[in-house]
Formats: sequence, C-alpha cells, structure tokens
Amino acid sequence: MQPVPPVPPPMENMGKPDPRYEARSKVTGRARYAADEPVSNPAWAFLVTSAIAKGKVRRFLADEAKGIPGVLAIITHENAPKREKVAFFGDGGYVSTSLVPLQGPDIHHAGQIIGVVLADSYETAREAAHRLRVEYEVAEPVAGFRSPGAQTVELAAVKKSHKDVGVGDIDKGLADAAVTVDAEYFTPTQHHNPIELFSTTAVWNGDELTIYEPSQFVYSLKNCVARQLALPPEKVHVINPYVGGAFGSKGAPTQRTALVAALARQFNRPVKLVVARDQGFFITTYRAETRHRVRLGATPDGKLTAYGHEGWELTSMVDNYDVAGTENTAEMYASPNVWTKVNLVKADRNTPGFMRSPPEVPYMYALECAMDELAVALNMDPVELRRINDTMKSPINGAAYTSRSLMKCYDEAAAQFGWSRRDPRPGSMRDGEWLVGWGCATATYPTNMMPSAARVRLGGDGSARVQVAAHDVGTGAYTVIGQATAEFLGIPADKVVVELGDSRLPPGPVAGGSMTTASACSAVKVACDRIRERLGGSVPADPKALAGMFEKLKVGSLEEYAEWAPPGGEKGLAALHEGRMGGGSAERGGGTPKPAMFAFGAEFVEVRIHSRTKEIRVPRITGAFAGGRILNPRTARSQYLGGMIWGIGSALHEATEIDEKRARYVNANIAEYLIPVNADVPLVEIIMVPEVDTQVNPIGVKGIGELSNVGTAAAIANAVYHATGKRIRDLPIRPESLV
Amino acid sequence: MGGDTKATGVSRRGFLASSASTAAVPLAAGVLGAGAASAQAPGRAPDPRAPVDMVLKVNGTDYRLPLDIRTTLLDALREHAGLTGAKKGCDQGQCGACTVHLDGQPVLSCLTLAVMAQGKAVTSIEGLEGRDGTLHPVQQAFIDNDAFQCGYCTPGQIMSAAACVEQGRAGDEAAIREFMSGNLCRCAAYPNIVAAVKQAAVVKTGRA
Repeated sequence: MQPVPPVPPPMENMGKPDPRYEARSKVTGRARYAADEPVSNPAWAFLVTSAIAKGKVRRFLADEAKGIPGVLAIITHENAPKREKVAFFGDGGYVSTSLVPLQGPDIHHAGQIIGVVLADSYETAREAAHRLRVEYEVAEPVAGFRSPGAQTVELAAVKKSHKDVGVGDIDKGLADAAVTVDAEYFTPTQHHNPIELFSTTAVWNGDELTIYEPSQFVYSLKNCVARQLALPPEKVHVINPYVGGAFGSKGAPTQRTALVAALARQFNRPVKLVVARDQGFFITTYRAETRHRVRLGATPDGKLTAYGHEGWELTSMVDNYDVAGTENTAEMYASPNVWTKVNLVKADRNTPGFMRSPPEVPYMYALECAMDELAVALNMDPVELRRINDTMKSPINGAAYTSRSLMKCYDEAAAQFGWSRRDPRPGSMRDGEWLVGWGCATATYPTNMMPSAARVRLGGDGSARVQVAAHDVGTGAYTVIGQATAEFLGIPADKVVVELGDSRLPPGPVAGGSMTTASACSAVKVACDRIRERLGGSVPADPKALAGMFEKLKVGSLEEYAEWAPPGGEKGLAALHEGRMGGGSAERGGGTPKPAMFAFGAEFVEVRIHSRTKEIRVPRITGAFAGGRILNPRTARSQYLGGMIWGIGSALHEATEIDEKRARYVNANIAEYLIPVNADVPLVEIIMVPEVDTQVNPIGVKGIGELSNVGTAAAIANAVYHATGKRIRDLPIRPESLV
Repeated sequence: MGGDTKATGVSRRGFLASSASTAAVPLAAGVLGAGAASAQAPGRAPDPRAPVDMVLKVNGTDYRLPLDIRTTLLDALREHAGLTGAKKGCDQGQCGACTVHLDGQPVLSCLTLAVMAQGKAVTSIEGLEGRDGTLHPVQQAFIDNDAFQCGYCTPGQIMSAAACVEQGRAGDEAAIREFMSGNLCRCAAYPNIVAAVKQAAVVKTGRA
C-alpha cells in the first residue's frame, strides 16, 4: 500500500477528499477567532500573577499603578467580585481547577492569578500590571516528584470510580518467564501551546452575557459560567466558531472567564482579556509529568506471561487529576497475568489536565519501550514480538474487539519503510559520521463517544443547513459534518451550510476524546434519516420533483432536531444539555462485557545521530493507521501527519522546565519551550489501512485525532537505542542525553 | 531608555504628518522631537502616554489613527484598524503568526511599533486577495494542499510563504523548510505547507 498523497484518491470505506469547508475564510484572514471579535469600547484586562508558588500575598503597593491615566481599577482579593464555587470537572463539575482566584491571600501555585488591571487601553493595562508591587510571605513549595515533602497517594484511595485493572497472578507470571524486563521510564511536563492565545471577551446586554472565548466545549463553558455567576444558563451565550488550536487546553473552563464576566458586569462595559503567552502556562492546564515501572515476562518464543505497570502522575494540592493510562495499556497485548497500579503525587503546582491522548502518550511510551527491550532480550524482531502477542479479545475481561487491524498496520508500514533491510545490531547501520537507527512502536486509541444533538433543515431548493454545538479545533469537523449531512440526505456536499461553535445551537460533544465525528455525525444521521422518511425514503435529485414534494407536504422546508446517545449512554443526554463531561461522556457501547473498541496504528522511524555532536534528526517516519470509516481522507491524513509530528516533539523537543526550588516554569514561552519547526520534519508518510467496523456506532467511525501521536516517542527512543546501543528511558531525548 | 528615544523621535514624524501648518514646523525642521513636543505645550513636560496621530498605509488604504506610542503594528491593525487577519500568538516575535509585509519585506508586526510603519506600505493577509476575489497563488496552494488545520498561524504562514516565493527562495524543499521555520504551526501541517509553497513557486515561475 502506498503512502497517501495530500489529496488522497478514493479508497475503500472512505469518503471524498473534499477541501476544508472553511478553507477560504482561513486563507484570507476572514475566519473570526474569539479575540478577533470587534466589541465597542472595551476595557482591557491584564492579569497579575504570583511570583511565588506557595505562601500569601501580604500586601499590594498599588499607588504607582493606580496613578497611571487610563487605569480603571486594580482588582485583587481585597475587592474582587464574588463568584460561586463550582466543582472540579474531574469530580463531576466543570472547572479545570477548583481554586477560585482572588478569593483570599493564599497562594497555591506559581503564576496564580492574584490581580487584574482594567484600563482603557491594552498598553495601559499592561504597564499598570507591571507597576503593581506585591509583598509576599514565602513558603517552601513542593515542585515535583523529587521534591522533599512530595506526597504520594494511591489513586484508588482518593477516587472511588477508579479500580486498578488486572488479571491473573503477576508474581507467578514473572516466575514462569524465561526472559524478563524491569525498567523505569519518565515523561516530562508538557504544555499544549496552541498558537492562539487564551482569551476572553465578555459583553453584557442587560442581564444577558455573551462570551467570546476559544473553547472545545461551549455548552460546558456556558453552564459553568452561569453557575459561577448565579445566572440561568439561558442568559449566557458562548460564541466561538473557530478555535486556533486547543489540544485539550480549551476543554474544561478555566476560572478566568467568570472573573472577566463579573468585571464586565461591575464596570458596565465589555472587558477583553488576551492572556500573555507566559501567563497561559500557569492559569490553564498541562500534561503532567509521569513515572513508570514496567515489568514484562515472556516465554523463550516471545509469548507474554506477565505485564506489570505502575504509574505515578503529578497533580496539584487542590485537585486530584489523573489519566490512569493502564486502563488502555492493559488491553494492548495478550498476557494471562496483568497487574497495574496508579499513584498520584501532590505538588504545589497548577492543576494538570487533558493534553492530546492524555493517558496513552505517557503510558504507551513506557509499554512500547519495554516491549522493545523485551524484543532485544529475546533476540527477536520487535514487529514479530507484537504479532505473537496480538489478540482479538481483551486480556482483562475477554470482550471481543469490534475490529483490530494492528498487524495489518505493522505489515503495511514495515513494507513501505523497508524494515526487512534492518540490521538489528545496535550501531550497525552507520552512514559516515551519522549513526542510523530504526525503531517502531504501536499506536492505539479507544473509541469514545458521547451523546449529541443536531438540527438539520432541508430547503425546497435542495440546500441544507446542519447545526450542532460541536467544535472545529482544526480537526476538520466543519468538513466532515457537512459531508456526512450530504451523504445521509443524498445531496451534494456543496449544498450544505454547517454551523458549529455556538452555545445556542443544539448541544454537541466536547472536542476531546477524538469523539466529535462519531458522536455528532451519529446525531446528524438520525435527523437526516427522519427527513428522508418524510420524503418517502429519499431526497429526489431533480429540483422540480423536490419542489413538488414540498408543495404536497405544504411546507417550505423540512427540519428535524435529533438526539443520539451511544448504547448504554442514554442517561447522558440530560448531562449533555448541562455541558457536563462526566455522566454522558466516553460511553463505550452496551452489552456485557462491553465490546473492546480501539483504533490502532504502527509507526516506524529512522533517526540519525551525529557521532560527535550527538545531534538527533528524524529524516523519515512512516505510520499506518486503521480507524474504521474515514469520512474525509484529506483531513484525516492531516490529523495523522500532525499527530506523528507531535510525537517527534514529544520524543526530542518538548519539556516544560521546572525550577525545583521555586516550583516555577522557567521556559514559559514558545521559543524556549521547544516544539518541532518546519526544518525538523523532512518526510512523513501516512498509510491508511481500510477497516470496516459495523459495531462501534451507526456510522462505523472510531475517531482518529489522538491516535497517531501515541507510540511515536517510543518508536524514536527505540530507534535511538538501535543507533547507539544506549537505552534512554527519560524524555525528551536531547543531545546531552547521549553524551 | 531606548524606547523613549524611539518614541520621541517618531512622535515628531507623526507631528509633522498631522500638523504641517502649525508654527512648530520651522522649529521641528532643525530641532529634535523633544523640542517639537515642548513647543506644543510650553513649560510643561509632555505626556508620554498621550495619543499620537499616525497614518498607516495598509493594503493601499490610509488609516489615520490616534494611538498610544507603545502600540505595536499588530495591535494597531487588529484593535484599531479592524484588520484581524494577522494573529497574536506570542507577542514577542517567537511564533510568526503576526507576519505582515512592510515595503514587501516580511516582518513580525508584534515586534514593530506602529509608528515605525508610517510612510511604508503595509500588506496584511487581507491585502493578498485580488479585488475580484481571486486568491493569491499561495492562498490557493494552501487550500489545495491542506496546508493548515486550525488556521490560526495560517495568515502568518501565507505572508512568509508569499515572501519565500517572491524572493526566489523556494528552490528546493530544504530551502523552503528553512525559510518557513520562523512560522510555528502547532497543528504541524509542515509537510503540507512545503507542498503548498512548492506549488505556488511553480505557478509563479510558470507566469514569469
């Protein structure tokens, strides 16, 4: 199978590679992102954030700042408007952290919001924020895993719904093994760093509030802010048709929105806040650092006898955020004995949160590196080790996979990559001064769904309009929802108008968990099916025939509102209208045991490491993926492409550096927080393995936005081992790791 | 402070542009900005935060804007001229999302004060499209090659790409990647961006 070109030809079980629905508005600068919204005479807000991680604000010296012409107010805990406390989203509430800023002098993490300056201009607000002096009472913070006083708690002890998954007897499995691996891995703090800055613009019209803010879940933001400001939810309107990248960072509402909205109400004026890049590192979420101990045991012919995985995840003092990736890794390979445990380590840090493939990236990194170590110990090809341990049913509860094309992905990607030419001996594939290494790893992502509603209207002229408060964060949601509507109605895609990203539309899924397509398009299908039924089964292609039918029905248009929930997830419909992630999200279908539903992929990379400078390059990377039905292979290919490049960043570049003494991020900017640039990415090849899955949902879609950045870092680390003979288990792998 | 020197120097230029008929003109011709400003209000220190009248020529249109002297070209475009195509991604010259052309050269508008752009031709993403709605070859190439996802860095990428093509720097993929590496794309559409620049370069040389 050949790599897919940017405009893929039609392939099995895939839709048309239409260009993006909103393409023209994005290349002309007309696409209006939240901070682009013009508002009349706004007051500008600039945040004042804490210079210390733990302690108290003793007092503010504000005279100088207040004296600057144009400053309207300096808001601190001494005069801030009150907001109602809303629970942390991980506890069934909404907010990304339960810490309400400006409600007292206590400091719980570096960069905590301790003040807001309001001024007539952005320049004045910024100047005043910098001239506000703060006196602190400083206490010693816990920065991370290595800090004295860092407290470890078992996740199962603090989270009722969590159960460490396992089966069999790990000790017996290890004792029975001919070959074992026992290794520890580390993944660093990472920040999403979408290029769009976090921003909030709040405008009141009487008792109605309009919010312009980049959001992956406008219903959640609406309902959250309504509760924080004690308003009926219908009085809050969130508008956000375009999101300038999110990756999880704009999922759970942060505390800033209600604060900005409260100030706009108090000062009777629109308030606009564009959060500075450095402040964004502290007032939103991040991917927490993790530690892992992985134990594997296998028979001499490579069959796993034991898989043990203990994880440690950092969280804040105020909230217990977890990702618990062992739930997924335990399903990965056939092992009769599986033991897992997840721990949280509490630190004086802001609360972490979702970041693209939250559990899978760190946990699969550890497992896939350990699998490579096992292959080396067994003197076996790493692809063959995966084949021997491939399984069509869950090792934990025996549930059958609805489909699993893992080995097909391996075989297709291996053939394209030329894996058969690999000399397995470390350091054996030198090219002049460059050490060449080839590595591979598995990508996996669960098929998540949540309830969704949708409204579809078919006009007498054969055009249609589809409305759902889903979100296009760059994923192609506009395009595929439009294509799906066209397909389900049986009309051309260019006849469909798509409206997303507005809380006055029917509620849609969070742009997270890779579930927008499966969820929103399933609801769209229900609405479209009903419209076709009303027309006797199909929409006639002939405009005259269609007009005749409308005349007979005595209507100018046909409109259907539909709600859809995955099997077993019906109770989540009420939660959907309340914008809750808990309750209705991530249902995995009905039946007992619930079927195992995952997308899979296989990734192969070449690294080149300079023998003297240890500079590491990734000249090529090949990935093959199977994710059920692909609605648009062009946008899907871009998702895979971007994901694998994320994986390169995860392996070689990205890390938020932490001042261990002050619990502060020291590279809180997008130059020193390294992400891949164009020059880092020469050749990325994508293979789409056709896959038909009739069980996952009515449209056979698994969700792919978070698949391809899983496993990449392990494939690179494994290639680094192959190039050098050095096993680097801590990410990122930098030249200094190899000196 | 350097910033102050710059500010006064340029406020003189703004002063000249907006009040050519006042008595200050002969003074200003031979005296530094501070002198010109003090001539405005004898005996009193000038207010450094007072708005300065500026004229910016953007996409062929003159915008007369009273701006805080510290206003960046990016904020002048976005918050005062109503041209929100150029994007703020870092406000410190790290991401490239704010790239516009100044007399045909790509610049970071977040690191350019608006006063420095006076008397120069500013071209933003809004000025690339033809008056008849025809897309610039680079814009069309970005659509054809799916060279963006979220679209937020795209105006900056396109302005850099247009300069890359215009300056004949799109000779091979490595050269394109190097030229385009000042524009971060977190969605990581990089390979598609390279393909788009290549396509646009072919269109250009085909025409030439």
